[in-house]
Amino acid sequence: LLLRAARPLLAGAGRGTGLSAAFSTAPPPEKKRWLRAYLELQRLQAPPQRRSEKPNWDYHAEIQAFSHRVQENFALDLLKTAFVNPCYIESEEARRRQLGLDKDAVALQLQDNAGLAERGLRFARAYLAQCFEGAYPELPAKGTEALVNFLTSQELVSYVAQNLSIQDLALCRDFPAPPDVLQRTFLAVIGALLESSGPERTGIFVRDFLIPQLIGKDLFEIWEVVNPMGLLLEELTKRNISAPEPRITRQLGVSTVLPVYFVGLYCDKKMLAEGPGETLLAAEEEAARVALRKLYGYTENRRPWDYSKPKQGLATEKAISSN
Amino acid sequence: RYVRQLQRLQLLFSPTAADARGARQFVEEAAQDFARQHPDVVLYVSPHSGPGPAPVLRAEYLNGTVRDELIASKTSEEIVQLATKLANQSGLDIIRIRKPFHTDNPSVQGQWHPLTNKPSILTVQGPRLQPE
Repeated sequence: LLLRAARPLLAGAGRGTGLSAAFSTAPPPEKKRWLRAYLELQRLQAPPQRRSEKPNWDYHAEIQAFSHRVQENFALDLLKTAFVNPCYIESEEARRRQLGLDKDAVALQLQDNAGLAERGLRFARAYLAQCFEGAYPELPAKGTEALVNFLTSQELVSYVAQNLSIQDLALCRDFPAPPDVLQRTFLAVIGALLESSGPERTGIFVRDFLIPQLIGKDLFEIWEVVNPMGLLLEELTKRNISAPEPRITRQLGVSTVLPVYFVGLYCDKKMLAEGPGETLLAAEEEAARVALRKLYGYTENRRPWDYSKPKQGLATEKAISSN
Repeated sequence: RYVRQLQRLQLLFSPTAADARGARQFVEEAAQDFARQHPDVVLYVSPHSGPGPAPVLRAEYLNGTVRDELIASKTSEEIVQLATKLANQSGLDIIRIRKPFHTDNPSVQGQWHPLTNKPSILTVQGPRLQPE
């Protein structure tokens, strides 16, 4: 017993670190001790493979588990089409043609996910835009557009898809799947959910998986504003408040290499916002940004997002009608 | 919403070895119940015939970590407990946690800096008063 348990512990030098050492296709128990190190080196240097090519893989079971993991009821054939990418279909047809099959056998019976992805993207953008319009009514159109673009951008969506194991289930030509393929697959999953369960549940899905990515992010990290002072002046004229007057509130270390100036913006002798900076110009710009954050209601101490179950479906109906 | 971080469990054991008895009993009795209670975990049972490596339960998580647990000479109930423990874990590495607290809001009213609570007259000459 001791011998049998000791052998895999010795041979599995790379196992504990979580590398892709396939256990059941390991070479038969080698009789030669000196061969073990070489074979282990070969296994460690082998190129990374898709999970579907390693042992123990059942596609249907994995797709069912995916739908349970996300706690959604999918129509399974829609979900399977959502994972098929056009690059996979092309590569499969090219491979079959190379193997010399007839014209009929070459054409695959699969549909790809382009239509579902496009529908998913449109729904996600409309729903997110509507969420932000409801939550931050003061934010101008460019701001909501910047937020929606950030949430449907490639890096963010591919990061979310990676952590939901979509990279194992997606069928595509290259391994590891490039981020645009992952983004398209995730949007196609949203489209498939839209077709199977309807817009309400899809809205809750989008809210639960994409909006938490905004936690900890500042508005002006996402939305690039070149001239915050000009924007602030426009906002204040819209609300009929007089132009802000910048004044130095505090200053430290003026004659040193690292000065700190706190510039406050005063409207009618009342303070609007205060911001720090290295030079007077930088401090004034920062104060303008702080003032904009306060006006749009996107401060750090705002109410956190409401993830409770919605009672009425009015919001999502508006989302579809605006499509 | 809660997403279970365990993706799949692979049960690799030998059908004849003596230390895999618990694994065989688990497969006969408790594996189906476990799979029914955790529908989002895919359970693979792969017996490899003949004398092979020790019976192992391999857990793969959503962030890519693969964790092997030896189940040699364990009873069926112990294996069930081990499997539920793995199912409730996340795939983060099991290392020492430096501090047992973390907060996303370290400061409610604003973090203290040397100029809070100091009147601004100290550092700046006040606004020039208009002669009245």
